[in-house]
Amino acid sequence: MSLPQFRILQPLTLDEACRMLDEHGSESMIIAGGTDVIPNLQMRLFAPRVLIDIKPLRELAKIELSRDGLRIGAAATLTHALETPWLGEKFPVLSSAISTIAGPLQRNMGTIGGNLCLETRCRWYNQSKFWRQSLGGCLKKDGDICHVAPGGKFCWAAWSGDSAPAFLALGAEVEIASAAGTRRIPLEKFYKNDGKDRIALARNEILTAVHVTASMSGRRGVYHKLRVRDSIDYPLAGVAVAMDVDSTGVCRDARVALSAVNPAPMLVRAAAESLIGKKWSRELAEEIAHVAIRTGKPLTTSGSTPVYRRDMVRVFTRRALEEVWNSAQQSS
Amino acid sequence: MDKQLIRLRINGEVHEIALSPNRLLLDALREDLGFTGSKRGCDDSSCGCCAVLVDGTPMLSCVALAASYENCKITTVEGLGGPGNLDSVQEGFAEMGGAQCGYCTPGFMIATKALLDRNPNPTLDEIREALSGNLCRCTGYMQIYESVKYALERHGSISSSVRETPSTQAPAVR
Repeated sequence: MSLPQFRILQPLTLDEACRMLDEHGSESMIIAGGTDVIPNLQMRLFAPRVLIDIKPLRELAKIELSRDGLRIGAAATLTHALETPWLGEKFPVLSSAISTIAGPLQRNMGTIGGNLCLETRCRWYNQSKFWRQSLGGCLKKDGDICHVAPGGKFCWAAWSGDSAPAFLALGAEVEIASAAGTRRIPLEKFYKNDGKDRIALARNEILTAVHVTASMSGRRGVYHKLRVRDSIDYPLAGVAVAMDVDSTGVCRDARVALSAVNPAPMLVRAAAESLIGKKWSRELAEEIAHVAIRTGKPLTTSGSTPVYRRDMVRVFTRRALEEVWNSAQQSS
Repeated sequence: MDKQLIRLRINGEVHEIALSPNRLLLDALREDLGFTGSKRGCDDSSCGCCAVLVDGTPMLSCVALAASYENCKITTVEGLGGPGNLDSVQEGFAEMGGAQCGYCTPGFMIATKALLDRNPNPTLDEIREALSGNLCRCTGYMQIYESVKYALERHGSISSSVRETPSTQAPAVR
């Protein structure tokens, strides 16, 4: 498919990128790895007149560990994150999740920031313009009806990133810059759970980094992903678990987060309360798994069925909890 | 949109061409410069047929804007070797039946080359992982893994000559 016409701007610094965003506003889009933006442009899902290419900005590509914790620059590639050996040792849920994103070639291009800002996906949306037009469009693009939930006025396009649930499970924060300065917000607040308006990022703002506080270092964790094929595929459901288990096997803190079953990646709030102070038992894992199901509200946005995706949320939650507890036992 | 003069470094040679900002690297390679080894498969970054090495790292030229890859060292399958001067990877695919229709083969060769340059002694699991971004719809993967193993055995013996080609540069973007 052809690409629409646009200009490419290549800022040399973050400040310059922010000024460009300010100047071009809603006519501009940020591009880094391009693995999400380019196919979407080909499908004419957006029509920016200006692309601001932040890939060469080295200041955005660093992965650093300090006393405050982990900071990953938005333009760091997914491969860079996977090949940072201490990242997987200190934050296993992150490497577990990032390793499932697409395939190795896409990860060589795609960035952490791009994965956290991924466009939501739906079988009625991620299609060519010709295909969409033949149905008169949808709520999310060029139309006024939702084919997933006819009659509804809410867009259910699914959050389809894998790193976001892992970062949520670590209580991450995102750093956002604009010409006016920078701000930091919890990652959880970054996602709006609206398929049409997915992230809390104004048109003149840019995601610059994601932070994980030092106290999360060493937290055990794993991510489980449902997909049609084992490589180069978006999640149909995803479950991330990060847990602090003491030497007696008691859970001191835990977070469970889901992907691909809502328009946002989402924490399973009630899970933490039920897990803290408990030791492993199959009954407890089943209980949490059933809690997780209630947080996921998958609809028919993909080739798989909501029933199957919901049930796999249950299965993956149980398995992830068991794995995390087992790994704690083996090392104590 | 106005065309811009762009310098692309491909297989060790600099090419200066006038391109629209929306020209994909794949189209610049295939249509403007005649490097038709790189193939357009899925056209949406999910098959690996268009893979090229960018500073030694395999990337997908179908989602890369040519203008964003100025001054990078780009290696296409043509840059690995040609008739009479085949790379061990190309020999491996020829000898072990790693290609059937051949459409995905350049992408597999590029991914294999990148793997062997970084890890001269990969395990089968590492080979499978490194090639998991490339899809083949006819041969099946076992012959491809056999091809990689063949290349692996030959890699050491000819590596001194291969090292001089731009494709073996250490990855700059990591």
